[in-house]
Amino acid sequence: MEQPTASFPGLDRRSLLKGMGLLGAAAAIPGLAACADTGTATPESKKSAGKASGTVRFGLNANAAVPTAGYDSVFAAFEQKTGIKVRTNKLLYTEQINNYLTAAPDDVLIWNAGYRMRFFAEKQLVSDVTSVWDQVGSNISEAVKQACTAKDGKQYLVPFYNYPWVTYYRKSVFEKRGYAVPKTLDELTTLASQMKRDGLTPIAFADKEGWEAMGTFDILNMRVNGYDFHIQLLDGKESWDDDRVKSTFDTWRRLLPIHQPQALGRTWQEAAQALGQEKAGMYFMGSFAVDQFDDATKEDLDFFPFPEIDSEHGQDAIDAPIDGFMMVKRPDNAAASQSLLEYLASAEAAELYLKTDTNDVATAQNVDTSNYTVLQKKYADVIGSSKNVAQYLDRDTRPDFAAPVVLPAIQDFLKGNGADIDGITRSLQSQAKSIFAS
Amino acid sequence: MTSVVPELLIEEQRPPAAVHPARRRRLTFARVCLHVVLATTALVWLLPLLWAVYTSLRPYAETARKGYVSWPDGLTLQNYSDAFTQGELPRFFFNTLIIVVPALLVTLLLSSMAAFVLSRFAFRFNLLILLILTAGNLLPPQVIITPLFQIFRLVALPTFMNSDGTLLNSYWGVFIVHVAFQVGFCTFVLSNYMKMIPHELTDAALVDGASVWRQYFSIILPLCRPPLAALATLQFTWMYNDFFWALVLMVSGEKRPITSALDNLRGTFFTDNNLIAAASVLIALPTIAVYVFLQKHFVRGLTVGATKG
Repeated sequence: MEQPTASFPGLDRRSLLKGMGLLGAAAAIPGLAACADTGTATPESKKSAGKASGTVRFGLNANAAVPTAGYDSVFAAFEQKTGIKVRTNKLLYTEQINNYLTAAPDDVLIWNAGYRMRFFAEKQLVSDVTSVWDQVGSNISEAVKQACTAKDGKQYLVPFYNYPWVTYYRKSVFEKRGYAVPKTLDELTTLASQMKRDGLTPIAFADKEGWEAMGTFDILNMRVNGYDFHIQLLDGKESWDDDRVKSTFDTWRRLLPIHQPQALGRTWQEAAQALGQEKAGMYFMGSFAVDQFDDATKEDLDFFPFPEIDSEHGQDAIDAPIDGFMMVKRPDNAAASQSLLEYLASAEAAELYLKTDTNDVATAQNVDTSNYTVLQKKYADVIGSSKNVAQYLDRDTRPDFAAPVVLPAIQDFLKGNGADIDGITRSLQSQAKSIFAS
Repeated sequence: MTSVVPELLIEEQRPPAAVHPARRRRLTFARVCLHVVLATTALVWLLPLLWAVYTSLRPYAETARKGYVSWPDGLTLQNYSDAFTQGELPRFFFNTLIIVVPALLVTLLLSSMAAFVLSRFAFRFNLLILLILTAGNLLPPQVIITPLFQIFRLVALPTFMNSDGTLLNSYWGVFIVHVAFQVGFCTFVLSNYMKMIPHELTDAALVDGASVWRQYFSIILPLCRPPLAALATLQFTWMYNDFFWALVLMVSGEKRPITSALDNLRGTFFTDNNLIAAASVLIALPTIAVYVFLQKHFVRGLTVGATKG
């Protein structure tokens, strides 16, 4: 979910993109990545040691306060335990993952599950970590394991945490105005019209960067057509101009009037602000949205899973993307990387980390949740009680389809206020056909 | 003469005000328009900068609550100290120096040599060579990034030059790119300037037995001090401001120069824009200082050699 631009550098970082953009998204991916699988050994000597010791280099994917502090405490504990040092590379590589993995300056890196991982596994830019899974696998649920497994049946990602996409609201506002948490679509629209009468925008909404509204598509499609259809569709096995997809878009079209208008000009942080300022009543977003609020507002936040649309599917699915760790193809220190990954999969590491990052919940099953915040406990409940857990649109489908095709299609849909659903689904299908055939 | 000029100016300014009130009003109206336009333009240019400064002085929690267009409850320098500690700005400033200072010196040295030969000696291909150097400047550098990335990845460096053992992810790589892309422009400017230096100077030196090297080093180069100063100012700003090359060619956060390092302060989702505004202001200061104090060179850098002597 996040920066949609993972394998599609052209979207967001305008400067970099000028360059990569010229090559076109599709060209850029093979462009930089292809050369890596020619088997040309990089000049770095990749040695593997027998006994784990020395230093592991770790790609941290940011120099921002939130992940850094948590990982620092995890690595300090790891060093104390094993004597292995972890050297962090605080580099935001999300939007340059091709360059980054091709150059491979680190041994272990933070990355995402699903197609986001599979793509690089198939490009052979990362190593399989089945030997780590042999040690830690019993502590991880089968659904999470699936998300960490590539087409060849091997695991390429060691999961760390996930986080749900839910509808946030402010307890004080609901209490003051006597609103009730909606369980069904009808209740949602009734509540929304009440909010409108009370001068509130019912649902804060943003799609400036293009990935934000994918979450809304996911949840609507899963509620209307069910998880299985959704996943098949994103996997290229169902048609986008199917009536079922049209009915998802049509539901969305009917819900657009209760969303904040002109979403394409608004970042998710600005949309969150509308909830913070009590101008909007609800906000459907990933749990990272909580970072946007000051402490008093955080205390006042609560959430509910998106209401039921079709009773056949109820509220049985949710987007809860998994983040974890990959190991590059030829790590400098394979043995130490392996023990670092094993440690990171442990409940102990997750507990340490989640103290500083309270938007996420651990994927390790034996984690002690007593230190979780109120919201964290509820996240864990909501994910745990969902029969199906999806990864988010841009992780559940090919990266060369998600950002270059679905993203602008959804933006077109929003721009036209839901007009021309037939045209949009037809164009989606024709592009899906050629991309999934390749 | 020197005493006459100021008086003439004063005379010209004063009488219209006193003697022709009608003319003055007309002038004033035109001037008001002019100043309104100028002030508006200046404001439009300054607004983003001033807004960044204003944003950088406000805590994130406050702007998240009230929006960026709002009055502050209180201003704080906290973002600046965070940028220094959490953003590790001093280290990245140092990285910039490691790249920019040698690149600047080498660029000027190489381009002055090339300009000397191309402008002071007549041979069949010198115009062609100059054209090629200049044409290279017209190529958008981003176009070659993919092949460059691959080449850099495959070029081995001894580990004492770069611990990764490749040209990729090294200071050398960015240094080479800067030199390569700036030599063309500098050669063009310097050769135009050198053409204006009378040939008699080097002819006389030749008669006295000065070698080509001597003519370059002892005669032409000292005379080129003005364009060299101008180019140094301009080039420093350009290389300092570069965001693109290090972003693509460096994959270790700690090696990046200051501009590209700024990018890492964003989170995967959450970005503290106020912190980034503070860091951006700090990063802009050196270029602003260079511009304010060396303005004369700056303008000359853009115009030197523009007229044919």
